[in-house]
Amino acid sequence: MKQFVPGDLDAAVIQEGLCIGCGACIHLCPYFQSYRGKTARLFPCTLKEGRCFAYCPKVEVDLDGISRFLFGKRYDSAPLGTYRSIHVSRAGEKVKKSSFQAGGTVSALMYFALREKLIRGAILTGRKELLPTPQLVEKPAAVFRHGLSKYTAAPTLAALNEAIEKGCDNLGIVVTPCQATAVAQMRMNPMGNPSFEDPTALVIGLFCTWALDFRRFEAFLAQEVPLKEIVRIDIPPPPASVLEVYLQDEKLVFPLDKIRPLVPDTCGYCPDMTAEFADLSVGVLEGRGDMNTIIIRTERGERIAREAERQGYIILEEMPQENREHLEWAAANKKRRGLLRSREAGKLNGEEGKTYMRLSAEVIDEILINGKEDAPCHT
Amino acid sequence: MSYLIDEGKNVQHLLMGNEAIVRGALEAGINVAAGYPGTPSSEIIESFSQVAKERNLYVEWSTNEKVAVEVAAAASFAGLRSMCVMKQNGVNVASDFLLHLASSGTRGGMLLVSCDDPGALSSVNEGESRLFAQLLEIPLLEPGDFQEAKDIIKWAYELSEEIRNIVMIRSVTRMSHASGNVTYGPLPSDTAARAKFNYHGPLLDPENGPVISMILAAPELQHGPQQEKMKKAAAIFETCPFNTYTGPEAPELLIITSSACSLYSREAVKILGLGKRVGILKLATTWPLPPVFLKKHLAATERILIVEEVAPTLEDHVKVLAAESVQEIGPKLFYGKKSGHLPSVGELNPDLVLAVLSRLCAVPYEAAAGVFATEAKALMEKLAPPRGMIFCPGCPHRASYWSIHNALQLDGRGGFVCGDIGCYVMGILPAGFSTVKTLHAMGSGSGIASGFGKLRQFGMDQPIVSVCGDSTFFHAAMPALANAIHHRSPFTMVILDNRGTAMTGFQPHPGSPINVLGETVPALDIEKICRAMGAKVEASDPFDLEKTREKLGHLLEYAEGAKVLILKQACALSPEKRGRKKYEVTVDETLCRGEDCGCNRLCTRIFGCPGLAWDGEKKVSHIDDIICAGCGVCVDICPAGAILKKEVA
Repeated sequence: MKQFVPGDLDAAVIQEGLCIGCGACIHLCPYFQSYRGKTARLFPCTLKEGRCFAYCPKVEVDLDGISRFLFGKRYDSAPLGTYRSIHVSRAGEKVKKSSFQAGGTVSALMYFALREKLIRGAILTGRKELLPTPQLVEKPAAVFRHGLSKYTAAPTLAALNEAIEKGCDNLGIVVTPCQATAVAQMRMNPMGNPSFEDPTALVIGLFCTWALDFRRFEAFLAQEVPLKEIVRIDIPPPPASVLEVYLQDEKLVFPLDKIRPLVPDTCGYCPDMTAEFADLSVGVLEGRGDMNTIIIRTERGERIAREAERQGYIILEEMPQENREHLEWAAANKKRRGLLRSREAGKLNGEEGKTYMRLSAEVIDEILINGKEDAPCHT
Repeated sequence: MSYLIDEGKNVQHLLMGNEAIVRGALEAGINVAAGYPGTPSSEIIESFSQVAKERNLYVEWSTNEKVAVEVAAAASFAGLRSMCVMKQNGVNVASDFLLHLASSGTRGGMLLVSCDDPGALSSVNEGESRLFAQLLEIPLLEPGDFQEAKDIIKWAYELSEEIRNIVMIRSVTRMSHASGNVTYGPLPSDTAARAKFNYHGPLLDPENGPVISMILAAPELQHGPQQEKMKKAAAIFETCPFNTYTGPEAPELLIITSSACSLYSREAVKILGLGKRVGILKLATTWPLPPVFLKKHLAATERILIVEEVAPTLEDHVKVLAAESVQEIGPKLFYGKKSGHLPSVGELNPDLVLAVLSRLCAVPYEAAAGVFATEAKALMEKLAPPRGMIFCPGCPHRASYWSIHNALQLDGRGGFVCGDIGCYVMGILPAGFSTVKTLHAMGSGSGIASGFGKLRQFGMDQPIVSVCGDSTFFHAAMPALANAIHHRSPFTMVILDNRGTAMTGFQPHPGSPINVLGETVPALDIEKICRAMGAKVEASDPFDLEKTREKLGHLLEYAEGAKVLILKQACALSPEKRGRKKYEVTVDETLCRGEDCGCNRLCTRIFGCPGLAWDGEKKVSHIDDIICAGCGVCVDICPAGAILKKEVA
C-alpha cells in the first residue's frame, strides 16, 4: 500500500507537471487547495503518511492492485479494461430531453439513482462561466443542471472529500478516468482506517482522451468571446474534429488542432480512455452525437443500470461490433501511448515514491503490442 | 514639567545620550527640529516635542529624512537655529539635498544629527554616515560621553554660524541609548525668536542674498568658498575643547579614538593598568582632522592603535595625515582594522579593546567575561527554547502575509514579494511564511516590483507583489507607484496600513490625524491617493483572511498595470489596541484532533502566533491567555473548527 509524506506528493506530482487537479488530495487537510483549476500545496507538511498521496491517481498507481480489489482479477491488457457488457444507450422516456449532452445516459442514471434513493447524493460538476464547480447534489431534478460536458479538468473529488468529511455516504459520482482511479484507491482504504466504510455507491466514469487546462482554455476563449455569453461547449464525436462554443444565438467552431495545445502535459501519460475503474463507463457513440456507449463493469453498476433500464430511465441496445472494435482500437492506442510516454519519463515502474504507475512487464508488453496507430481496416 | 527643561543651575540629571543632545540644543536656543523616526535616533524628536510648547519650538516628524533636512534648512535660512535628526540610513535618503545645502551654506546654526547603528542591532545594514561628512565637505563632530553629547551641541551651533554651513553630529547606539550623568547649563531666557528670510542682497551674499546651490558653470565661486569653510573649521578644531589627551608625554602606544569607543578604550587601559604606558587621544572633531594638534601627538609615539567601529574611516584619515607629515613626525606603526587587530564588522566593546591592548603591550589578560558569557548562554538555552524572530500576537502582518502567501501559492505561477523596511521585513522569515524574496531600502520593494513587472517582454510571467508600510508609502513608495502606473507595470502593491510608524514606536506620518505636537492635522487618505494616481485599488481587513486572499487573487489575475491592495488593521501594540482584546479566544479540546488531525499542527507549526501553544501533555493546541491579543484570526485557520472566539463585551 502506498503511503508517503505529502512533501513527496508535491515533488512527485505537482512539481513534475503531472497534477491534473482532480481534487483527490483536497479537503483532507488545510495544505492542498484547488484554485482556478489547479491544485496548490500551501505549506509543507511533515506527516509520514497521508491520504493525499495514497489517493493521488498520478503517483504509485498499482494498476494490478486496483484491478484485484475491484474485479478480483489481475490487470490485463484488454483495451477497455474489465467489463461485464457493453451497450449503446440513451436516456429513456422517464427523462425529458433537457440540458444534457449526447444520449443523456449519465444524467439519466444519476437522476434515477437519486430518485430511487440508491444514492444519497451525487457529486457532479457544474460550471461558473468556464470554471468547473463540483458539488454535492441531493435533489434529483438538480442533476440536469450539471449535465453539460466541461472538457476542462475539474477538482470533482474535492467535493467528494468534502461530502465524506460531513458524514455523507452512499454517494454517486461522475468522474473522468484519472478520477475513477483515485476513487478506486480511496475505496481500498489505503490507510487501513478501522472504521472505514466505502462512501460510494455508484461511480460513473466518462470516456476521456484528454481534458483541457482550465486556465489556458479560459485565456484562449477570452480572446475570442465574452466568457459570460457562453451557453455550452461541445466536442462532437469523430469523425468531426472540432470544438464548438455556443453563444445565445451564435456558434463558434475551433479546429481541435487549435485546442490541443491547451491540453496539460499530464494527459499524455494517461493509459485509460474508458474509466476502467468505474462501475459504469459512458461515452459518446462514434458517429452518433445523440447516443452513448455504456460499459458495465461491476456488479453494483450492473444492478443500477438494469433497474434504470427496467424502469424506463435509460434504454440499452446492443453495441454493433464495428463500433466496439473501433472503441477498442482507440482505447488500446491511448493505453499504448500513455505507457510509452510514462516509460520514457521513468514514470512506469520507476523510482519509488515518484513513479506514476506500476505494472508487470508482461502486461506492458501485451499492451505495447495491442496498440496500433493504424485504424482497423474496416473503418 | 519635563526634566529636560529643568532650570536649576549645575543640576545633574541621568540622561540618555539622545536626551543630552536635546538638552544641549535647548541650551543653545534651538527653534526648529525635524526628523524621520529610526532607531537609535527616535528619542530626539520625541523629547523635543515634549518641551515644544514651553520652549517655543517647532517640531515635526517629516515625511522622510530629505524633507526633514529641507524643513530644518528653511529655519536656518530664516536665521533660526535648527536640527535635523535621523538614523544612518536616513542620511542616504537626505544626501541629495545635503550636497546642495553644503554648497549653498546656511545662516542660523544648523546641525545634522545622525545616530548610527554599528552591528545593525535595529537596522537592515550597518552602513555608516561618517563618510558623508567627507563627501559633503562639512565638519563632523562625535561626542565621547554623555556630558559631551550635551556640551558639544552649543559649540557645534557656534561653529555652524561661524563657517555658515551645516555641521554633522554623529552618535551611535551605545551613545544614544545608554545613559550618564549630565550637568546642566543655563537655558536661554528669551524664547521669542523672529524668523525672516532675507533675499534682496546679491546672488552670492551669504547674509542677505538668495540661497542657491547652483554654481552656473563657475565652481570656484561656491565650491572654493565651501572648501575655505573646511579649512576654517580645521583651524577651529585645533583648539576644540572636546579633543582630549590622557596619558604619558611619550606613550609607547597611542590610542586614537572617538565616540563610544573612547569609553571602551578608557576602560581597557584602566583594567590593564596601562595608564603610564598608553595614551588615549579622544577626538571629537573627526572630520576635518586638526593637523597641528594631531601631529603633535603622533610625533610623541612610535605606535598608534586606532579604535573605531565599522569602517576604518578615522584610521584612513590619520594615516593620510601621517604620510603627509612623515618628514616632520617620522615613520609610524599603525594598528587597527587594516592590520587585522580590530574587526570591520559589528560593534566594538571593552573586551575587544582589552584583547588587542593586551597583545600590543604584552600584558597578559584572561577575560573572565568569556566564561561568564558561555555559562550564561548555556543557562539561557536550558531555560528558553530556541525560536526564530516572530511577529507579535495579534500582529496584522502575520494575517496579511498568510493571505499573500496563500494567494501566490494558489495562483501557482511562482509569484513572489518584493519587500522593504518595517516590521514586515520578517516576511523573509518563516514568521511571514518566507513570502518576501527581495529586501532593500524603504520604498524599494515597489520600485523593484515596478521593474520586474516590465520583464514580461522577456518572458517573465511570475506575478509580482510588493509590500510597503503606511509610513513607507509616504516616505519613499509613492514615486515607485507613480512610475509603475505611468509605465503600465503590472504588479500588485500591498500597503500594510497599521496606522502609524509602528516599528519605531507609533510616530505619526502624513496619514495620521494627529502630529507629534498632539495637534489635529489633515490625514492623507492612502486609498484616495492611489486611486487618484490611477491605480486599480482594493482595500481589505487583513483579519478577514478569505476576503483578503480572494481580492489579492483577483488582482494577481488582472494583468493590466499597477494595482494596489490596502490592508488596514492597526498594529497590535498601537495605543488604540494595547491591552484590549476584541475576542476571548479558546480551543475546544474535544474538537482539536491534535496529532491525529491531518492539519499537522497548522496553528502552532505554521501560523506561529505566540498566543497559540501546543500542549505537549494533552497533545492539543491551547491559547495562552496572557499572550493572546484577541485578534481572532486563528479561528479561521483551524480546519477542525476547534478554535472558538467570543466577542469581549
